[in-house]
Amino acid sequence: MDFFNCQDKARRNTKLLVFYFVLAVLSLVLAVNAAVLLILTGFGNYGLMIWNSNPVSSANELSLPWSLAELLFCVTIGTLVVILIGSVFKTLQLAGGGSAVAELLDGRLVNSNTTDADERKLLNVVEEMSIASGVPVPQVYVLDGETGINAFAAGHSASDAAIGVTRGCMKMLSRDELQGVIAHEFSHILNGDMRLNLRLIGLVFGILCLTVIGRILIRARRGKFPLPLIGLALIIIGWAGVFFGRLIQAAVSRQREALADASAVQFTRNPAGLSGALKKILIYGSRIDSPHAEEASHLFFANGLDNSLFATHPLLTERIRALRPSLDGKFPRVIQQPTPAISPASEAPQPPHSPQIPRFPVVQTGRDRFTPPFIAEHAVVANVGQATRQHLRYAVDFHQAIPPVLQVASRDPLGAGALVCAFLLANDPSTRQKQLENLDCATSDAIREEIMRIWHAIQGMPQQARIPLVDLALPALRRLSPQQFEQFRATTEKLVASKAETDLFVYMLRKIVVRHLERNFFPQQRPITQFYALRPLAPDCGALLSAAAYAGQRNITEAYAAFAQGAESLNRAAHCEIPWLPPDQCDLSRVDAALARLSQAVPQIKKNVLSACAQTVADDDVIQEGEAELLRTIADALDCPVPPFVQSQETSAPVAPEA
Amino acid sequence: MVTGLMFIGIIILLGFFVLMFVVGGYNALVTLCNRYKNAYSQIDVQLKRRYDLIPNLVETAKGYLQHERGTLEAVITARNAAATANARAAQNPGDAAAMKEISSAESALSGVMSRLFALAEAYPNLKANTTMMSLMEEVTSTENKVSFARQAYNDAVMTYNTRREVFPSNVIASTFNFGPAELFVIEKPEQKEAPKVAF
Repeated sequence: MDFFNCQDKARRNTKLLVFYFVLAVLSLVLAVNAAVLLILTGFGNYGLMIWNSNPVSSANELSLPWSLAELLFCVTIGTLVVILIGSVFKTLQLAGGGSAVAELLDGRLVNSNTTDADERKLLNVVEEMSIASGVPVPQVYVLDGETGINAFAAGHSASDAAIGVTRGCMKMLSRDELQGVIAHEFSHILNGDMRLNLRLIGLVFGILCLTVIGRILIRARRGKFPLPLIGLALIIIGWAGVFFGRLIQAAVSRQREALADASAVQFTRNPAGLSGALKKILIYGSRIDSPHAEEASHLFFANGLDNSLFATHPLLTERIRALRPSLDGKFPRVIQQPTPAISPASEAPQPPHSPQIPRFPVVQTGRDRFTPPFIAEHAVVANVGQATRQHLRYAVDFHQAIPPVLQVASRDPLGAGALVCAFLLANDPSTRQKQLENLDCATSDAIREEIMRIWHAIQGMPQQARIPLVDLALPALRRLSPQQFEQFRATTEKLVASKAETDLFVYMLRKIVVRHLERNFFPQQRPITQFYALRPLAPDCGALLSAAAYAGQRNITEAYAAFAQGAESLNRAAHCEIPWLPPDQCDLSRVDAALARLSQAVPQIKKNVLSACAQTVADDDVIQEGEAELLRTIADALDCPVPPFVQSQETSAPVAPEA
Repeated sequence: MVTGLMFIGIIILLGFFVLMFVVGGYNALVTLCNRYKNAYSQIDVQLKRRYDLIPNLVETAKGYLQHERGTLEAVITARNAAATANARAAQNPGDAAAMKEISSAESALSGVMSRLFALAEAYPNLKANTTMMSLMEEVTSTENKVSFARQAYNDAVMTYNTRREVFPSNVIASTFNFGPAELFVIEKPEQKEAPKVAF
């Protein structure tokens, strides 16, 4: 399924979720009302005699004709308010995104420059997967207290995503198996499941709130009213809430899990890894002991709770069988491209704490390690959110080919900041000098030294290495303090401003870094989908396409031709003319505003815009080096992760030129 | 009767708001606390790296600095003291005693290190040694990283301490025993105005 369909489906599932939730709330309200009626009318007199010293007067009061409707109204409003407050409260608590969930489950953030062998392996696997799929490296947490094998991904979007892994998962799985699990979690990030899952936590908590109140009331033994009885009723009704909550979790979660398994195999092309991990779970279990496991059970890789009635995941044996039809290791053709037996380790469970790190087979293609990124333009949109084994192989090669200086730098906050700044420096020495002078007042020598040191190191790097390196640097940059982040932002802004020519790519690069980080430092700024039609966005599309056309072409007639190429399909979709902007109106701030608005559109619109950009940039049927990276930055700004452009048989097929 | 029910409703509502408020305040404090502890782990990594580099540096310098035994030994002693102090601080970041200890140990260490660097200037043979030069470069770079990470840690501690002291979260902080956290400051004797490490 393509990325945009997945996103759309996730959005539809959100509606389904809301529908279930409304259903659950309605039934809860009905149940509460019924219980109140039962208590007060059915055996009210009898009940009150037990709890009151003066039953007669109470009974009289009760039988007075004060309106039953009024009472029920109060009860209904009360129930609704409780559910609402509970949901809002939990949602606010999780506003911090993935890291908030990870901390809720007692996760420990893994330091990006850790020296522990297991943690390093885990981080490397995650980093490779990020490069392969083109999303920023998420925060990685380890749940130290959990010995079962489990993992989860949480967050609102790719920029505040967190991946959590239990200690057992990190210690007991081989590298291939770990890769399978991480690929599964990445597909949750890419498919837009995480956002849905976070909402689910909030809503389910609201439903569960009644049980909590019931527990409080059942201890209150005084007063005129049969509080404990109400409490008991609330607990019983609350169980209805638990029932509905589980039902919702199971309904939404099960099919997504199956899909994520399939995507994980698509990423790695190594069903042995994932099924090996599942087999180990069969042996060692996947239980999560955290008291918050119930709320978050649908986030996990495998069932975190014991009960099987409302399992949030398909049965383990079913999942294994889906990956490998026969359980005894003889699997003829699940996938057309069976991997050679690279992991005999996954056949037999290993004893825990074996520190072996099997290396992923490095496939030498004989070409330059950074494969030349020629790509047919029609493949750009099809590639969004779809990492394949080729991308992963490229990522592994890339990861190993990064010079040690840059690797070290990208893992620590100071170095990572300097790395981004170094990318913003101009090639022309005099401009560069001017850029550095501009920084003088605010920056210390140490920083400038570091920037220059890294600038020299990146000179040998090909252009397309810039985006993956910046993606790798993000976890370290997240560890800046808010004050340091402010300074970092100001510095990058100065560097971009003092760069003589308006370099769209450099500008976008800086924009992306700041945008991803802003969501980390100021969690309240979250884009909301506002545009469901292309028409109101036509001026913005015009600005973006014009800018993209100028970026590729030097003379204005060529630029217009490129623009027309891209605008053509959008004209049809928008039912109106996409305006062409002359160069002087199409400055960076205009593009900035356009991107901000476009990022609030529904996925299908983004798909159209992105494919129009691809056509503009690929005016000559083939996207060249620099243009490809520009496309990736635009896609990233629209929250559509594009994997690096790797040449492959499928994508290099000749393109039929557009009519 | 209706008023009674309303009363219960209001009590429940109020109780809920209070609960939300307490839980929210508590969670904010825990988050900030985790944040500065995380920030310390960032310093810890760099410090450990430096403690690993220093013995190599001394080993390399030994051959050239025959007559400077005292300085070399002082470096090693200061390094060992700082390493133990750091181990203690990493166990419990923010703890006043541990932070004071690591602060003074680090100040002492940077004092002797700068003496060693100044000495190295006087020995042309030593300066010609590439191993020595790359080690010195690495130590300096690590020191920059430490001061950057230290700044992040101090910012995090400041945020936490402020949150801990202002009303109304100070009530929650004192109820649940959130102690104050200590800053990590290094006094450099020879240069009072330390370079501001900032982007």
